[in-house]
Amino acid sequence: MLQVKNLHAAYGKVEVLHGISIEVPQGKVVTLIGSNGAGKTTTLRAVSGMIKPAGGEIRLNGKDITGLASHKIARTGLAHSPEGRRVFATLSVTDNLTLGAFPRLTFGRERGDVQGDLNRIFELFPRLQERRNQLAGTLSGGEQQMLAMGRALMLNPEVLLLDEPSMGLAPLLVEEVFRIIRELKTRGITMLLVEQFAAAALNVADYGYVMENGRISCHGPAEQLKNDPAVKAAYLGAAH
Amino acid sequence: MQIFAQLIVSGISLGMIYAVIAFGYQLTFATSRTLNFGQGEALMLGALVGLTLVGHMNYWLMIPLVLIFGALQGVVVERVAVRPALKNKSEFGWIMGTIALATIFKNVAENIWGRDDLKFPSPLPESPLTFHGIHVLPMEIVVVIGALGMMLAVEIFNRKSIYGKAVVATSNDRDAAGLMGINTRMVITFSYALSSMTAAFAGVLIAPLTLTGATMGVVLGLKAFSVAIIGGLNSGMGVIVGGLLLGIAETTTGFYLSTGYKDVPGLVLLLLVLAIKPAGLFGKTVINKV
Ligand SMILES: Nc1ncnc2c1ncn2[C@@H]1O[C@H](COP(=O)(O)OP(=O)(O)O)[C@@H](O)[C@H]1O
Ligand SMILES: [Mg+2]
Repeated sequence: MLQVKNLHAAYGKVEVLHGISIEVPQGKVVTLIGSNGAGKTTTLRAVSGMIKPAGGEIRLNGKDITGLASHKIARTGLAHSPEGRRVFATLSVTDNLTLGAFPRLTFGRERGDVQGDLNRIFELFPRLQERRNQLAGTLSGGEQQMLAMGRALMLNPEVLLLDEPSMGLAPLLVEEVFRIIRELKTRGITMLLVEQFAAAALNVADYGYVMENGRISCHGPAEQLKNDPAVKAAYLGAAH
Repeated sequence: MQIFAQLIVSGISLGMIYAVIAFGYQLTFATSRTLNFGQGEALMLGALVGLTLVGHMNYWLMIPLVLIFGALQGVVVERVAVRPALKNKSEFGWIMGTIALATIFKNVAENIWGRDDLKFPSPLPESPLTFHGIHVLPMEIVVVIGALGMMLAVEIFNRKSIYGKAVVATSNDRDAAGLMGINTRMVITFSYALSSMTAAFAGVLIAPLTLTGATMGVVLGLKAFSVAIIGGLNSGMGVIVGGLLLGIAETTTGFYLSTGYKDVPGLVLLLLVLAIKPAGLFGKTVINKV
């Protein structure tokens, strides 16, 4: 499980996270919601090592990973599907997925059945199988999102961080993304989900955190947050 | 007509040398958006180390040793001149760093091998082969095959091996590559090693055809740089075409106008490309949908 304690992070001299504590228990889906600019993406970046935390502690299955470089954190089994998808545009779909398993293919992490996992990803995302030889840069936005998620899953992760997987997608595709998240949940994958669609996120999640201006303003079981009048008013109005 | 064909054939081997050095510029630009302005000096060091080694061994056995030397030299360039600038997010530090290091390498070479040009013994007969009245030196054929082989080998590595794919991923998006567990700092060091190795290889290929000395890299490095700009910093095809264009332009102008003007067409070509298609003749802009 993932434990984040009193996490601080800054861009240059400007601190944007002022002590974030989050727990993602084994096999659970935890969601982090909050308005634009609250610091959700920064939180995920600090956890996965894309930026160095300015303070606090991050543990994955008890191991302290605070301040490690992102490639070392990935090798401990933390997968991060970043905001904006960030697929490798000039590589094929299959190559993108294979790179998701890089630590497994290069002795950084237990190998397991990489080919079998690739086939399972193709079963989960039939569109990717159809386009497996196509360059990732030529995919549609929805397909790129599927690819980014599939690529992260290829790590066989202990925990999966998803940053706004529904961002910029048509409503039908947003539903598809949430269907897949639900499917991953039934497979027992531990997830920390950042979402703008707070209602949908709270429907799939077990537990939720609400973030405001770099702080956690409240947290609780998803059922409870969904019915909290303050959360309802601030985040559950417009979306759905 | 016969003469023209001869000039083209001579231009091809020169052009392939430009192409393979330009290819070296591309390798580091891809992974780190930085260039080693000491590519010419990497070539020169490769040629001079090769020259010393052929005193003790066969030319063909010397090549792998020079490749290893080139790779290590590239690691030094990256560690000393580039990494500090990348770490400090200094936008131009690497330019001064690589130029300074290149100057030091040139001075060191002058002290070890002297200031005079030296003769590099040719491993193959120095009398030309003749096809339909056109003369080709055996070593010129080796240059073309060697240059193409080197570029092809890197291309196959990038496409087929997981480590090569990691290099391409780093070129696409360094942060995302880090999330895949790829040590992108090591990838950048590796690309510098490969780049200098390519230049050192070009050095021992061309040395038997030209004079070898501490200053041989200056002009070659600069011309290959213009080839990289003409062809596009991200196009393998571009450097081959650009190299051939420049090589042939030089041999033909040298003959039809005057050898004094042989550098002009290349520079005119460079200025034209910069004005009309700054990304290079084959330069591509990567599609990345948001
Ligand atoms: N690369 C950056 N450089 C400087 N400031 C940034 C950068 N990225 C985000 N910020 C700032 O950090 C704060 C949190 O942003 P972010 O984590 O992206 O929020 P969210 O994901 O919740 O929308 C915002 O005020 C944003 O302007
Ligand atoms: Mg965000």
